[in-house]
Amino acid sequence: MKRILALGLIIVIVGIAAVAQDVTLTIYADDTRAPLLTTLGEAYTAVTGVAIEIVEFPWNDIRPNFITATQAGEGPDIIIWAHDAVGELVANGLIAPMELGGRAADFSSSALSAFTVGDTVYGMPYGTENLSLVYNKEIVPQAPRTWDEVLAIMRAQYDPDVPSYGLAFQNTAGNFFQFFPMISAAGGYIFGFNEDGSYNPCDVGLANEGAVFGATLYQDMIEEGILPTGVDWDTLNALVAGKNVAMVITGPWLLSAIQDAGWDYGIARIPAIKGPDGTYNQPLAFIGVQGFMVSAFSDNKTVAMDFLLNYVATTEVMADMANAGNRIPTFIPAIDLAPADLAYFADQAAFGLPMPSIPEMDQVWQEGGNAIDLINNGTDAATALQQAYDLIIAAIGCE
Amino acid sequence: MQSQSPFAILIKVVLLGAIDAVAVWAGIELVLSANYSMLAVLVVGTGLLNALVLSKKAYPFRYMAPALVFLFGMVVYPILYTGYVSLTNLQTGNLLPKHMVIETFENRFVLAEDAEQFTYSAFVDEGDGMALVLESETTGERLLYENGDTGPLDMDDPRLTLDDEGTVTGLLGYEPANKYAISSRLDALSIPFGDYVLRHSLFKFSKNTKQYSFDESSDTLTDLTTGAVYSPIEGTFTSEDGTELEPGFQAWIGFRNFGVLFSNAALRKDFGRVFAWTIVWSLFSVFLSFSLGLGLALLLNDRKLRARVIYRTLLIVPYVMPVFISALVWRGMFNTQFGIINRLFNDLFGVTFRWLDTPMLARGVLIFINVWLSFPYMMLISLGALQSIPGQLYEAARVDGAGMFRRFSKVTLPLLMISLAPLLIGSFAFAFNNFTLIYLVTAGRPAVLGAASPAGATDILISWTYRIAFQGGSGNQLGLASAVSILIFVMIGTMSAIGFRFTKRLEEVYK
Repeated sequence: MKRILALGLIIVIVGIAAVAQDVTLTIYADDTRAPLLTTLGEAYTAVTGVAIEIVEFPWNDIRPNFITATQAGEGPDIIIWAHDAVGELVANGLIAPMELGGRAADFSSSALSAFTVGDTVYGMPYGTENLSLVYNKEIVPQAPRTWDEVLAIMRAQYDPDVPSYGLAFQNTAGNFFQFFPMISAAGGYIFGFNEDGSYNPCDVGLANEGAVFGATLYQDMIEEGILPTGVDWDTLNALVAGKNVAMVITGPWLLSAIQDAGWDYGIARIPAIKGPDGTYNQPLAFIGVQGFMVSAFSDNKTVAMDFLLNYVATTEVMADMANAGNRIPTFIPAIDLAPADLAYFADQAAFGLPMPSIPEMDQVWQEGGNAIDLINNGTDAATALQQAYDLIIAAIGCE
Repeated sequence: MQSQSPFAILIKVVLLGAIDAVAVWAGIELVLSANYSMLAVLVVGTGLLNALVLSKKAYPFRYMAPALVFLFGMVVYPILYTGYVSLTNLQTGNLLPKHMVIETFENRFVLAEDAEQFTYSAFVDEGDGMALVLESETTGERLLYENGDTGPLDMDDPRLTLDDEGTVTGLLGYEPANKYAISSRLDALSIPFGDYVLRHSLFKFSKNTKQYSFDESSDTLTDLTTGAVYSPIEGTFTSEDGTELEPGFQAWIGFRNFGVLFSNAALRKDFGRVFAWTIVWSLFSVFLSFSLGLGLALLLNDRKLRARVIYRTLLIVPYVMPVFISALVWRGMFNTQFGIINRLFNDLFGVTFRWLDTPMLARGVLIFINVWLSFPYMMLISLGALQSIPGQLYEAARVDGAGMFRRFSKVTLPLLMISLAPLLIGSFAFAFNNFTLIYLVTAGRPAVLGAASPAGATDILISWTYRIAFQGGSGNQLGLASAVSILIFVMIGTMSAIGFRFTKRLEEVYK
């Protein structure tokens, strides 16, 4: 008897707790953006009574956690992530179209197109990033304009005992992002375009003459020894911190480490590479766009978009969000508030293309990364790229 | 039950009551989220638990209950679930269950061409009721929505309170509602309006048409705008002419994943290479660390060695340090540009190696690190096992004229093997699945020419499975990865079974 009463009491208490619920907006953000959103959230709660819960994850864990949580029905309402996930998330039906309406004019069109699949915009961008050449003015007073100058600097600076290098960029297997500029200069490309402007995943330009030319140039540098291999994120940071390298091809994410190391740094376009026909071509850099996306299974889409469009999409907040991560703002009124340095990244951004966000891109990261590995280990550039091409086509399933 | 103190009975009642209460709550949640398989598991488990405590016959087994619960929850259930997933096509593009995908399609609306929008005033009553007064921005038409019924707004309705401009400010029986507090309820509404529905977004209602409709009886999805009918074929809604709708859903495909593994020649080659390396890796790790550990144990066992305790303490350090820290430190030490190993080699011999980037060197480095991490464990168990060998056996052997090597191979080793063989088999199985070390040091790389899947030179079966699961195809390929996991499970199970039979034969040495 007593047991039944105790049981009943527990059930009743739990039941009451389950029913009493306020409207809460859950946002997945990383540790750089979370503090800004928390202050903003408090202002929002004071005005509207809607509670905002920010859940912090390391940047790379946001996407897998979002996918797993949404599958289980416990997903957040908003996430912050890069645009290259949009293809996969839309293919899985996990994100909802963003209703920008007239506000779309406030965002740069290239940033919006990065978040577009078909005709629908699926996110609200806040910042872009791309690779550029960052050079130490103490060692290299003038930014090199051509790759021949770069090679001269590399040979002059090379000393394995110190160690000292002229140029470094991440070139371990997972870093196809940094490898792409060299491939693209003479005509390599990732996916071709269909007539309507969408990507044609079966038209892969990773093994064409231009790509092989760029990769062979890379291989020659490695064989000569002037370009360090096996440089991952930690090694790059170590090289920068010890001023062991004169020039780095990197994005704004490394700027704080460069500033901490006390570099007198300059930012310039990646130097032009002379193609096999003698013309100088500007290497292209991937542009990464970061933004907010709303979950398709959110019960609070109206409140989520209200928060995003009316509270986040203001000049000061967008400028702060982009500035926190050293990104260039995509909110047009906020671009004037960006630090001067970042304008130099825009130089290269004019020669950039957004990372393709279609799910087939995953294979490119995978196999392109493996191709770098093989080239690092001595495989001929043409063979390595050809293998990457064959495997990508096979995995995508093109005939 | 035997007669017990009232206190013991009280504890039992409270504990069982608490467990049953939690089970009831969990059961309600599972029913609400339609997760019937978990519900069945919960019901059976709770029932068994109650039977264990309450029934006289099962009572002696009550202390096994926690172990059985964990055995089921953490071993049996994951195996069954992995087996289930390996028979589906769970991957990017087919990630969600069918009912969630149908919900996505049924929630797709297309804005009407004239994009008519309605502003509204919202009212709620004390219970769950809700009323809305809608006014069109284009035609000025006014509607009253009340608890599911929609109709034109009757300006003479006595319940209305109007202000000077004719805006509705109050409704008898209702209170004005906070739009934010009810926004999720408003988002869920679909108010019928002629041929259209009104949907809520950005605090206005807009005229939409529903794009898809799912018919349960024929199991088809119809596109209401084009009239195309889509049937679910293997996880995707496909029309008669072959157009597929995105997203797809998880579907049962039988043994196709296993078929792919065995039929795709390049995948078979990958599998063979990774399997061979895993065996070599486990064998070498166990053999080398055991030899080193046993050698050190024999040395430390000598009574005449001074400061044995200090040596023993120092030698245990690799085992005591967390693997995450030591693996990452070793990775830094083997770094090509900055690692201390290369600096040393450069100063002494003038040559550097690309330790973690060349396939064979990377494999050697991994075995070296694993031996460094495991030899203290082998040393400890050998020390323990050595104590159990009676001294008279050695004396007898010495009397019979056996030299040091003979004594070791005929007396020490066989007797050691009786106690240590199961531990060695356990170490082999552990090294076989040592995902942590491989992933931290090389992440399976460097890449290999001719690979058909994400299989690098240092990938063992389990890290290869991980890479297929999360880096394969166009995103995740969980179905294929589960199939590989089941294969690994079968292989290790067989090897362990054979291993245990072997140790049974060893036990006969003593008899």
